[in-house]
Amino acid sequence: MRSPAKHLAALATGAVVLAAACTSAPASDNVLRIAMGSPGEAQIRVWDDVAKQFEAANPGMKVELNYQDDDLYQTIGLQNLLNGRNAPDIYFEWTGNRLAQRVKDGFAADISSKFDSGPLAGLFDDTTLDEYKIEDKIVMVPYSADVTNVLWYNKQILADAGVQPPTSWEELLAVCDTLNAAGVTPIASGNKDLWAAGNWLSHMASRVVGEDAYVSTLGGTGKFATPEWEKAFGYITELADHKCVNESANSIDDNEGAQLFFQGKAAMHPIGSWLVSWAIDEAPDLDFDYVNLPAMPDGAGNQDSVIGVQTGFVINAKSAKVDKAAEFMAMLNSDENVQKLIEAEVTPLTKSASAGQDIDSRSANLTALLNDAPAIVLPPDTGYDLEMADALYAAEAAVLGGQQTPAEALGGIDKKIGR
Amino acid sequence: MKSTRPVTPYLFLAPALAVFGFAVLAPMLLTVGFSFTEWNGFGPMTFVGVDNYARATADAVFRDSFVHVVIYILATLVLEVALGLGLAGLLSVGRGGLWFRVAFFAPVMLPLVVVAVLWSFVYNADFGLINAGLGAIGLHDFQRVWLGDTSTALLAVSFVSGWVFAGFYMMIFYAAFRQIPNEVLEAARMDGAGEWALFRLVKVPMIRNAIAVAILLCVTGGFQGFDLFFVLTNGGPYGSTEIPTTYLVKTVFRNGDVGYGSAMAVVLTAIVLGVGFVYTRLHRPGTTA
Amino acid sequence: MTGDARRFRTRSLPGILATGGLALLAIVFFFPMVWMVLSSFKSNSEIFRAPFALPTGIDFGRWAEAWEVGHLGSYALNSAIVTAASVFVILICGAAAAFAFSRYRFRGRGFFMSLFALGLILPLQSYFIAQSQLFTQLAITDTRLALIIPYAAMGMSLAVYLLKVYMDALPHELFEAARIDGAGDFRMFRTLAMPLLRPGLATVAIFSALAAWNEFLLALLYIQDDTLKTIPTGLLAFSSRYVTDYALLFSALSIVTIPMIVIYVVFNRHIVEGITAGSVK
Repeated sequence: MRSPAKHLAALATGAVVLAAACTSAPASDNVLRIAMGSPGEAQIRVWDDVAKQFEAANPGMKVELNYQDDDLYQTIGLQNLLNGRNAPDIYFEWTGNRLAQRVKDGFAADISSKFDSGPLAGLFDDTTLDEYKIEDKIVMVPYSADVTNVLWYNKQILADAGVQPPTSWEELLAVCDTLNAAGVTPIASGNKDLWAAGNWLSHMASRVVGEDAYVSTLGGTGKFATPEWEKAFGYITELADHKCVNESANSIDDNEGAQLFFQGKAAMHPIGSWLVSWAIDEAPDLDFDYVNLPAMPDGAGNQDSVIGVQTGFVINAKSAKVDKAAEFMAMLNSDENVQKLIEAEVTPLTKSASAGQDIDSRSANLTALLNDAPAIVLPPDTGYDLEMADALYAAEAAVLGGQQTPAEALGGIDKKIGR
Repeated sequence: MKSTRPVTPYLFLAPALAVFGFAVLAPMLLTVGFSFTEWNGFGPMTFVGVDNYARATADAVFRDSFVHVVIYILATLVLEVALGLGLAGLLSVGRGGLWFRVAFFAPVMLPLVVVAVLWSFVYNADFGLINAGLGAIGLHDFQRVWLGDTSTALLAVSFVSGWVFAGFYMMIFYAAFRQIPNEVLEAARMDGAGEWALFRLVKVPMIRNAIAVAILLCVTGGFQGFDLFFVLTNGGPYGSTEIPTTYLVKTVFRNGDVGYGSAMAVVLTAIVLGVGFVYTRLHRPGTTA
Repeated sequence: MTGDARRFRTRSLPGILATGGLALLAIVFFFPMVWMVLSSFKSNSEIFRAPFALPTGIDFGRWAEAWEVGHLGSYALNSAIVTAASVFVILICGAAAAFAFSRYRFRGRGFFMSLFALGLILPLQSYFIAQSQLFTQLAITDTRLALIIPYAAMGMSLAVYLLKVYMDALPHELFEAARIDGAGDFRMFRTLAMPLLRPGLATVAIFSALAAWNEFLLALLYIQDDTLKTIPTGLLAFSSRYVTDYALLFSALSIVTIPMIVIYVVFNRHIVEGITAGSVK
């Protein structure tokens, strides 16, 4: 028979385990909570470092950094965090539809005063800050501007095949044919999650239908199944016909797609400005550069348009620590930390950043590309409604994979989102 | 047995009922309730009657998801139950014991995420084991983008499921075989039956019940599949591996459409329960031994 | 006690063929896992270039790195806490309920029993949506409680059922005797029923633990905080962070896999008994 002591011990252990289970995220008031996606090891180190600096300067306060899976963060991760217990005081966002929604839902504090006379004064140019205003109020602290998609190419492979990086659509198709004949995959794309090629193809579509039509269709209620969009999607079919993209595109994700490029298994890779830091880490011997999306024949849009997005950090209007949050962001954007961010291959938007050196020339060129762009196109998934973006990406992927005709795919979008 | 106080049994029952009621029963009822509304999870909730159900019946993706899951179930009936039966049969004839059981059953112990990550590498079109293996023996023509080709993706996932669970069913059948009385088998052998005939005509029929249970488990479990599909393809090449649960999760947790997702959940539950009831009804009268 | 007289079979042709066939199949089945472990000792470029080659040396360095960098220790701890807590709840509450159903006749007994029977076949999909809403409203998401409660609830039906079967098999006289000795109900449960239920409790514990340890969907939906993730979701996060560092990835997978296999080898008799008992439904 068991003795009472053993029983007590068992119950006590159980209670302790349960107690340990219950006390997971203590809701104390001196914790500054920051939420974002997964920016990569280099950036994480800088953030962790700044967190320590902040804790040192504010004894008694703790900084809690929450790095979520990117896809989760963008879909419901952030929503859940904001609506749950221990909502973040500072969180990452993209300009566009999403930011407007945050303001509407009351999650974005008006921090204009922090830039006038508060801790963030003097760090940013007024023109930079303009992009971060909703209804004339600054609601986000600028972080970086990303070019969402350009066509990266492996200099060596193109040279070996005797071709130049394409600047027009016809040149692109010709390069694909030459490379295929030489047994090299022309373009690598990791499109399992649909956005990698989606952004590229959406940019291409915007060049054909024109920026105005792009904005009005994506942001409005008009149908996708129209002649202009069919014409745009027709070019996607041409890509498929010329076997420009790797066969495995729809089963590998963006990381694996990049790996194909890093390993020299593909000549070109359409992806965003974040490739630079990654490539330098993963494939230091890779000699690569980029061209903006080739000009589309007979397109209604500006053929030098750039697809890009501004990102930043919003201070939660419902937070009790708005002032402390602003101080943290100021600390993050101190000259010293900005240099560290630059070393981590971020392109910060502070005044001090442009004055600094050590930025990779490609990153610098991309920043200039975005700054000097005659027209900027927002990516579907961050600039507009997510459900619509998903349907658009899926349609583009289907046409790229030869599964559907442009008409079928566009009709499918309308059906899915009820237009 | 009589209790000292009439309330005692209820006291013993209460904790289990509380946990179960709170986390399973109440949410189940709530889900039915949600299915009649349009709601995004934290905003206002609007009552819409049977609109969600009408939408579900008209939703091609939802309908297709059932087609996909049925194909999956049929494949797993072969790859898990039939294969498990075969393996159990071999086990009961051959010698080997523990190490064979470890090899076949070990995958059952693993989190499906581990299995999925491992197999997504095996299936990788550019670097993976299968294509590398095929290439090494010169069968380049057979190389495929296993998880990216609409004609192979669903079966590829089913195959992984078989790799995991064949061992599980093998154990069930093996345990059932061991229950068969020795005399019956010896008698059949005396009559000159070979092992294969013994298997077909004696062993399998005698474990009819276990087989029935296994089929039920495989079918109802198949409808609820999620882990492997989510990690390997998440709806897969152009929606060709979209199954009810992955679609459900996307609808509720990506698009925030709680009402519609709940309606689909109710439909799925009804089908699973329906299949279960029909099946047990079919088997009750026919049960022997 | 075996179903067939295997001792007469081993030398015969069918026996040899069967063993041979099994061996072949076992190799095929076990190959991916063996390959995974071996590959974890290679470098990434070796894995790409020569996937079938043996590693040049056994270096556990990457394993250590995977453990550190991938927070595997944290994930394992969370899994352990969540699993232990839910199994604890399942055993106590399940045994108590089984005791009530088995030893007493009371109003509503049949009704409550059928509720738990419903739980045996009710699919997760029928309640996880509303459950997640409930947890969000109660602000317990991103806590371990958000996993312990569902895991306990989900394992409750099987526990109640199995333990009732075990309890029914206990002889009446034992309890009658204890009653005559003046034992109260709770005393009987604690000192009489529970100890005798040990094999049943062990079986339930093993199965609930396995289910909780490997559960993925709820862990994915309820826990976003990386410091609270359990092994399945933690591994998923790990794999998306290091998706192209295959050697590291395989190291992490190996670290997770090998203990499970060891546990199976150690507990294999319990597991077989459990499946036997469970399938004799």
